[in-house]
Amino acid sequence: MQLNSMEELLSYCETQNVSIADMMINMESEKTEKTREDIFNKMKDRLIKMQEAVESGKSDGTPAPSGISGGDALKMGEYINSGDTLSGSLITRAMRYAMATSECNARMGVIVATPTAGSAGVLPGILFSLRDNDDYSLDELTYGLFTASALGYIIANRSFVSGAAGGCQAEVGSATAMAAGVIVEVKGGTPVQAVHATAMALKSLIGLVCDPVGGLVEVPCIKRNVIGTSIAFSSADMALAGIESRIPCDEVIETMYRVGREMPRTLRETSLGGLATTPTGEEIKRKLYNR
Amino acid sequence: MDFQSCFDIIGPVMVGPSSSHTAGVVSIGKFTYELLGGCQPERVRITLYDSFAQTYQGHGTDKALLGGLLGMGTEDVQIKDAIALAKEENIDYQFLLEKDHCPYYDHPNTVIIVAEVGYRRVKVGGVSLGGGLSQIFLINDAETAIRLSTEDDLRSICNRLPLYMLTNHQQEV
Repeated sequence: MQLNSMEELLSYCETQNVSIADMMINMESEKTEKTREDIFNKMKDRLIKMQEAVESGKSDGTPAPSGISGGDALKMGEYINSGDTLSGSLITRAMRYAMATSECNARMGVIVATPTAGSAGVLPGILFSLRDNDDYSLDELTYGLFTASALGYIIANRSFVSGAAGGCQAEVGSATAMAAGVIVEVKGGTPVQAVHATAMALKSLIGLVCDPVGGLVEVPCIKRNVIGTSIAFSSADMALAGIESRIPCDEVIETMYRVGREMPRTLRETSLGGLATTPTGEEIKRKLYNR
Repeated sequence: MDFQSCFDIIGPVMVGPSSSHTAGVVSIGKFTYELLGGCQPERVRITLYDSFAQTYQGHGTDKALLGGLLGMGTEDVQIKDAIALAKEENIDYQFLLEKDHCPYYDHPNTVIIVAEVGYRRVKVGGVSLGGGLSQIFLINDAETAIRLSTEDDLRSICNRLPLYMLTNHQQEV
């Protein structure tokens, strides 16, 4: 069994009458000859590592070693506690947890790359917000990680998941696309709806460049993770409403690849363009490397 | 198909901040450590290309490589102190920067390590593909394609290498 496209994934789910998550567990078990239980437990361990990163990050107000990030997850928490926020608690908590994880990453704390460290905030953001709001169990969220891995697996093998190869669309774009599909499946949507959500989320981030200020995974990466959670929820809501992506998901992924190949080197994690070369970006870089 | 498992996508569990510039390169460093027989090098020259050369300090690529060369894994919280630890261990290390892409492998995240301990000298070319996954494309002067995930047992991979790859190359460190 091999998984080459979203089309193949959907046809497998349909003929076998299984969820995307179950399909991934089946495939992993077939490839590795490990039991479903072993595979499930290993994934659950990763979920717990993600939870630990959220917990450590959300109440840690200390700055990253660079001094240019840190403390915003704490601010977001105080804002939520004020009870007067524009977005509802599902979105605001997802934002807070994504920020907590990405700030933990910037501090060289332990995180789980989903699919990369630079984009590690989006998935824990949406998962632990779903848990807080709808009381999902850790097991249900673990299934969500299998859904995420199947979607990410196809994206990663047909395109790329590194900012240096394909820009931020490949990192936060892929993470957000995975997260959108996860939300749909956790909320009881069909595999077809999940893949539409993935397509709609990825389409929204096509072309996003990788332009880290001072070469650090902090500015603008942390906030892009935060915003990614909102795009994931919007895409999932559209899919659950029965709205479809006009462009099939496999073609969206192919587009992301094509756009990444055409993206100049200056906008692929070299810090030679984009926000990295704004006057403020340059000033931060000078201060960092003259210390 | 570079990515083979659900744990390549959800994972690795790692210290930040970058899976391609931190976690993936810990594996390349650790592979070199295992190739030296599970020994820290006494002398090491590390050439960083392209994106690595531009952003290595911010991403902690230097700490990640040295951490791997000291024998650390991707989850090791000591990676952030690897430079100080390498100095404590009196490792003679040097980073060389090449703004262009690597002549052996066309990818922005490439590194070539030449490491020595006693009479042993190894040259290792590695590329970090993203998501913590990397590939060794050069061992001494032999081209190869060994895929490394952060969960692989690097020692047993090194033990299975064909003999011709392990002969010392003549280039000066």
